[in-house]
Amino acid sequence: MAESKSKKSPGVLAVFGDLEPTADAIEQLRKLGVSDDCMNIVSGVPVTEAMFGRPKQWSNVPRVAMGGAILGFSAAAFLAFIAPYWYPYPIQVSTQAYVPWPPTFVLFFELTMLGMLLSTFLAVFLDSFFPNYRPMQYVPEVSDGKYAIIVDCDHVPESKVKDLLKKLGAESIKPAEAKQL
Amino acid sequence: MTYGKKETEKKQEHHDHHGHTEEHFKEKHLMLDPLPRGVMNDMVMEAVTEKPSWKWWTTVFVLSAVVVYCLIYSWYRLIAEGVGIAGVNRPSYWGIFLVNTVFWIGISHAGTFISAILRVFKAEFRRPFTRVAELMTTFGLVQAGFSIFMHMGRVWLAYWLMPYPNQRMLWPNFHSPLSWDLLAITTYLLSSTMYLFLPLIPDLAMARDKTTGWRKNFYRILALGFRGTEGEWTHLRNAMNIFAFAIIPVMFSVHTIVSWDFAAATRPGWNSTIFGPYFVIGALHSGMGAAVVVLAAVRKFIKNMDYFIRAEHFDAIGKLMLIISMGWAYFFFNDYMVQWYGGDKWTKQLLHFHEAGPLGWMWFAMLIVNIAIPWAILWNPKWRSTPWLVSTVGILINVGMWFERYIIIPISLTINRMPFTWRMYTPGIEIPLGIGTLVLFILLYVIFSKLIPMIPVWEVQEGQMAHQLKKFGRETVVQVSELE
Repeated sequence: MAESKSKKSPGVLAVFGDLEPTADAIEQLRKLGVSDDCMNIVSGVPVTEAMFGRPKQWSNVPRVAMGGAILGFSAAAFLAFIAPYWYPYPIQVSTQAYVPWPPTFVLFFELTMLGMLLSTFLAVFLDSFFPNYRPMQYVPEVSDGKYAIIVDCDHVPESKVKDLLKKLGAESIKPAEAKQL
Repeated sequence: MTYGKKETEKKQEHHDHHGHTEEHFKEKHLMLDPLPRGVMNDMVMEAVTEKPSWKWWTTVFVLSAVVVYCLIYSWYRLIAEGVGIAGVNRPSYWGIFLVNTVFWIGISHAGTFISAILRVFKAEFRRPFTRVAELMTTFGLVQAGFSIFMHMGRVWLAYWLMPYPNQRMLWPNFHSPLSWDLLAITTYLLSSTMYLFLPLIPDLAMARDKTTGWRKNFYRILALGFRGTEGEWTHLRNAMNIFAFAIIPVMFSVHTIVSWDFAAATRPGWNSTIFGPYFVIGALHSGMGAAVVVLAAVRKFIKNMDYFIRAEHFDAIGKLMLIISMGWAYFFFNDYMVQWYGGDKWTKQLLHFHEAGPLGWMWFAMLIVNIAIPWAILWNPKWRSTPWLVSTVGILINVGMWFERYIIIPISLTINRMPFTWRMYTPGIEIPLGIGTLVLFILLYVIFSKLIPMIPVWEVQEGQMAHQLKKFGRETVVQVSELE
């Protein structure tokens, strides 16, 4: 089993020069029986899933951002309402209440925003598995505006995938071997 | 090759009724003049990786020498000899350090304004210069931080600002605007640095693919393993959208809170309810002025930048500068009018001192360079599209806005309700330290121009994909598709 796993083909990496043939190729691959889970598209510009006719990508970024905002808000609540009462000498300023609302609002706003933005940044790292310096399936031509389709599918013969991609105008087709970026 | 380009590649033989050909549009608009992505990458990377000339090294050497003398050595003296060598004294306890703090925070506002607000409103002209502007935010905030630390004197005690339990069992609370400042500036510095880094990741990945040697390793580490998969783009796009919306209120909060450092005090000239928006518009005024200067410098001194930064961009920023100048004039007059009408004895004395005191020339110069000159020049599309002219206006606006802060802080502190304390402020060590922050700001740009791609190439390509020419009857117009 372990031997058959190690001999498993790395999949196919096809490079296209334009958006339209890439989207066509994705559609034809699907017709050939390659499911969306078995494909990954790599591009140098943020082309939306809809343009490729691909299912919507799930992202945890908004949820993690919301979580960070709640954490920031909670930290502000702690600093404003709980922490001061742990210590015996409160600082009284003029005739202001011990915990006056207007400055507390500033504290809440800043820490909520800080929590949200820090967690948004962190969420990109978590969702994208950054930093990742292991070898990965990639072609540098993507940086120059090409589109790459990585097909990794066990139940459709690789030769059929390659033939189809070639017919649909792939500029190059090669094994999707993981390389050091 | 993009579908946007396909459309523009079709030869347009005819002229529209203005006599405009496709070539005319291409020359004028970067978004209609697409080059293959690889060519654009090479142009940007050539500017970064090309062996620095002797002029570059000389510039770096001279700027570094000034930073060493004005910033490092002078700061050392300030610490070693104490704040007594600064000009601050009764009644002007706040001097140029605070003027520079407010000035640099103001400069930092344009980065967010250009990058976030223009991104939210999908202003297409922003695309090639968002990074240059975002760098301005981060570099400007560094100078603001330095300035406030200088003012602090015993900078090693800066951690006292943090809300931590101290040995006297006092819990620092949040009554003071200075503690709000700490929160707001920290939030803004961290947010703007992250907002600078996120859109930089795809360009760092491009740089990684285009370089060898130590640079490749440098970019490989910074690119974090970015490939451009659908997932990575989706997460990046979501994050940038959240940042673009969220950083705008943070930006407004920062300068509003800075204004409360003054307005919360019941001093003549400071105790104004309009100081918050007045400071924000002032920050945008100086920030846009600085942005146009930086843009002109990048275009002039960095190779291949004239393709990316064109007259249309100066025209667009020039229009914003004009509108913001009008806004600043409105808020200035509003603030002035109410204080003048109030009839308070000391406020009247202060306003008279502003206009007719020994530094009255500064008050009039402020009005001339912040209002009269921008209005006289920026109304004209041809003039505001001329890089040297519009950047000269930008420099003058910044001089004017520095004067404004000088008038608000040390000059206004001169006149208070105790005439026996009145005394003019004369700066000392603040002058070299102020020069040091300015030179460090420039030096950071010069160094970073050789380290990171100054143009967000993927954003430019995305914009070029979305633009095409379309004929409506006899008229040829630019059409933009919403791809984001």
